[in-house]
Amino acid sequence: MPLAHLRQPLAAYIHVPFCAHRCGYCDFTLVARRDDLIDGYLQALAIELGTLGEPRPVETLFFGGGTPTHLDANRLERLLKLVRRWFVPTGDFEFSVEANPAGLGDDKIEVLADHGVNRISLGVQSFDSAILQQLERDHDQPTVADVVTRLKRRFTNLSLDLIFGVPGQTLSLWRETLAQALALQPQHLSTYGLTFEKGTAFWSRRRKGTLAQVPDDLEYAMYAATMDNLAAAGFEQYELSNFARPGRACRHNEAYWAGVPYYGFGPGAARYLNGRRETNHRSVTTWLSRVREGRSPVGDSEQLSPEERAREALVLGLRRTAGIDRAAFQTATGFEVAALTAGRIARYVTDGLVKETDTALRLTREGRFVADSVIVDLL
Amino acid sequence: MMDPRYIRNFSIIAHIDHGKSTLADQLLLKTGTITQREFREQILDDLDVERERGITIKARAVAIHYDYQGHTYELNLVDTPGHVDFHYEVSRSLAACEGALLLVDAFQGVQAQTVANAYAAINSDLVIIPCVNKIDLPVVRTDEVLDEMHTVLGIDPDEVLHISGKSAIGIDDVFKALIERIPAPSGDASGPLKALVFDSKYDNYRGVVTYVRVREGRIAAGKKILFMKAGVSHEVLEVGQFRPHMVKCDELGPGQVGYIVAGIKDLSAVHVGDTVTEANRPAAQPLPGYKPPQQMVFCGMYPIEATDFEKLREELQKMGLNDASFSYLPETSDALGFGFRCGFLGMLHMEIIQQRLEKEAQIDLIQTAPNVTYELLMADGATQRVDNPQDVPNTGMIKEFREPIVRVNFIVPAANIGSIMQLCEDRRGTYKSTEYLGPTRAQIVYELPLAEVIYDMHDKLKSITRGYGTMDYEVIGFRAADLVKVDILVKGNRVDALATIMHRDQAERRGRGLCKRLKEEISKHQFEIPIQAAIGGRIIARETIQALRKNVTAKCYGGDVTRKRKLWAKQKEGKKRLKQFGQVEIPQKAFLSVLEVGDE
Ligand SMILES: Nc1nc2c(ncn2[C@@H]2O[C@H](COP(=O)(O)OP(=O)(O)O)[C@@H](O)[C@H]2O)c(=O)[nH]1
Ligand code: SF4
Ligand SMILES: [Mg+2]
Repeated sequence: MPLAHLRQPLAAYIHVPFCAHRCGYCDFTLVARRDDLIDGYLQALAIELGTLGEPRPVETLFFGGGTPTHLDANRLERLLKLVRRWFVPTGDFEFSVEANPAGLGDDKIEVLADHGVNRISLGVQSFDSAILQQLERDHDQPTVADVVTRLKRRFTNLSLDLIFGVPGQTLSLWRETLAQALALQPQHLSTYGLTFEKGTAFWSRRRKGTLAQVPDDLEYAMYAATMDNLAAAGFEQYELSNFARPGRACRHNEAYWAGVPYYGFGPGAARYLNGRRETNHRSVTTWLSRVREGRSPVGDSEQLSPEERAREALVLGLRRTAGIDRAAFQTATGFEVAALTAGRIARYVTDGLVKETDTALRLTREGRFVADSVIVDLL
Repeated sequence: MMDPRYIRNFSIIAHIDHGKSTLADQLLLKTGTITQREFREQILDDLDVERERGITIKARAVAIHYDYQGHTYELNLVDTPGHVDFHYEVSRSLAACEGALLLVDAFQGVQAQTVANAYAAINSDLVIIPCVNKIDLPVVRTDEVLDEMHTVLGIDPDEVLHISGKSAIGIDDVFKALIERIPAPSGDASGPLKALVFDSKYDNYRGVVTYVRVREGRIAAGKKILFMKAGVSHEVLEVGQFRPHMVKCDELGPGQVGYIVAGIKDLSAVHVGDTVTEANRPAAQPLPGYKPPQQMVFCGMYPIEATDFEKLREELQKMGLNDASFSYLPETSDALGFGFRCGFLGMLHMEIIQQRLEKEAQIDLIQTAPNVTYELLMADGATQRVDNPQDVPNTGMIKEFREPIVRVNFIVPAANIGSIMQLCEDRRGTYKSTEYLGPTRAQIVYELPLAEVIYDMHDKLKSITRGYGTMDYEVIGFRAADLVKVDILVKGNRVDALATIMHRDQAERRGRGLCKRLKEEISKHQFEIPIQAAIGGRIIARETIQALRKNVTAKCYGGDVTRKRKLWAKQKEGKKRLKQFGQVEIPQKAFLSVLEVGDE
């Protein structure tokens, strides 16, 4: 078997950079209230996809955003058709689309399902109206319940995104949100601790002191509650932020953590091909004009050295609950785990944050809370 | 050999930025010693750090040839440092001269180091040629400046030259004054050799280069010389002068300033202040030499990588040869391992050495907070010097704890007198005098503990006076004070390198401030970290760094990988400068944070 990064890419990511409004915490590549750019985007995406030369087989497709479902049904259909022309499903095909509850009409749901989408990742974030307001999200609990009911008519694989650690959120509010999410019986849940990213409204509000980050202890308790409650409900945690019913882990995302190649299209999209990491320009308009003019849309790129690649695989692998299988790691990277960790993790093992066995290396439950501290020492 | 009648040896002295280097270069340019292109580059400041900071640190000597009334004169310019830390070097340079050009900026007027340097020259019996410099500036206060020079230094306005080093105004007058006002050096050319070593440096190709001023006799290649104090002899391989680069000559005679290369490889063989004489016909008495420099500020320097210890020792040795005013002794710290306790003339001196070590030697250093040197009168009547707070014995054994006192001379706008006095009172100062230089400026004198002065007095002064105030100080002795050692305990362990000495009245406030600062500097760990300040066994302040509960990047998908990896790599880079102490990682900055808790 070739090294992981040299295998054939079997995953493709399409970035759809449109939203009704930019939420205060969000630093994704997107434009809000610029629906006038959508047609141009579809044209440019066609050109960028054209660089593939010929249709490629993929096992997973993922539309992320922004809000892919912000496109009206008509344009959404054009997008789906366009992408499907270049990617041919193979094996057990997984096709995920990120969606927001607000404005997700039946017409869009039909279009999605009709064009082969078989997994929806719904940006719920919270069921509490005060928290939703804090996050500047434009939906409420009844909308979510309604959308989920309608989605279930066509989809059997649903994921909900939730955010904890929101200023003003209490532990009991978060438990309540978890319970309401479980009540909707999704197949998959992603839970994210809120982060303050440079350049966002939240970042500057925190700096000015008008928005207070929740205390470390509370975030800890929320993450602990997440692990406990979701496990009790029959979900397996397979990554630091991801939980699924057996067999329902998102295979597309697993490709990222396995260090295998993937395609990426659209503004800000990342790709990993032939050991080279590339990210398209994050400005939607720059991406547009570059693609239109036949220039490369790539903003950043880097070629990793074999050791950097192996260390990256190590830290990404540790994010998965299963951790790192020593033998598989060596096949995938050409490096021995022990050689990379020598002298670096003993104290984490002693402190019970990392579990080391003859065959594997993984974070313990306690280790998950402070994964970055461990990761930094392994890079 | 040059006839001493046609030799003049002089320095240029001035407050920093009053144009010393520029004038020196102008003199070199006028005499064709350097080119127009070199003129812009302040040729005498040849250490990187000097050029970067625009200050002269080391003494330099340049021989200039100038034709005057049918004779070629040799004018030896001995450059001097301008900063208060380097008083010692100033006096060294002055000892090689008979005269000095005193520059005063035509706009800024008399400043603290103008006064200090002028007195140093007067005390060395030099002829002073006063100059108002920078008269080409668009705004000048020449008349007031002349008044100030008269009031403070007793200088007759009629003797003052009006010049500009930059615009080359009055330069011929400068040459004329140098030749006519400064006496020619005296000295018997036939007597036994007596030459004063006033500096030295290490050259990778020639070994030690010794800078000398010949008093009597002659020196030439092939002669056997004896360093009187060191008691070692060498054969002279080369003598020469700086013009401004090293230029070989046949011999050096009385009054001349130049260098000797004698194939000396041993770094410690040459002592500044030593007398060079002939091995076969030694002088009866050495020259008076210099008082050894007094290091007043000390700090620990530790390599971050323990394996760099030997390398650090070698670098310190090299540095020590080029700078006799700095000292170093090996020491160990429980917290930091093996390192050196280094002594400096002042804070700037310390910063410069540290910068040069990191830059030239590429050794990453942890530096402990600087402290002054203390004198202890022990119960048994003995006195002892302490350069490291760690070494202070139990209070019971100390009869008197003495600290160095400096006389500080401030020159400030009259409007700021009140604030400066308040600052000095807060710093345990004793008021001495106020004198008006003119209607708007005054000189204030205080006696203050050195410890209260060195860290940030200069910055405070600059901010109070919006840059217009200047200060200078000299150590006047040791005085008893109610001093205590404050220890810092991190997670129950005394961190020796964080111990500080302070006045008892300030201990609680500063101890609290220090704990707070450390809490900010030390990042959260997987466990709780108590930080305590203690005098002996008594805890006077406490802070707690809560345990790190959660530190995890929530999202890490395809587009995030590169970004997150870079973020982690940056965090990792940051951790490099941490020192593991027990289970706690203490960043390098924490060791200096002691400094920043002066007044809050
Ligand atoms: N206008 C004017 N500026 C000068 C003159 N001499 C020096 N300067 C400027 O004053 C500053 C300090 O000069 P420098 O020679 O480095 O002073 P030093 O610190 O005494 O060596 C520099 O910016 C010089 O360009 C002068 O005669 N006229
Ligand atoms: S809807 Fe999602 S992608 Fe759009 S702005 Fe809000 S958080 Fe960002
Ligand atoms: Mg200078």
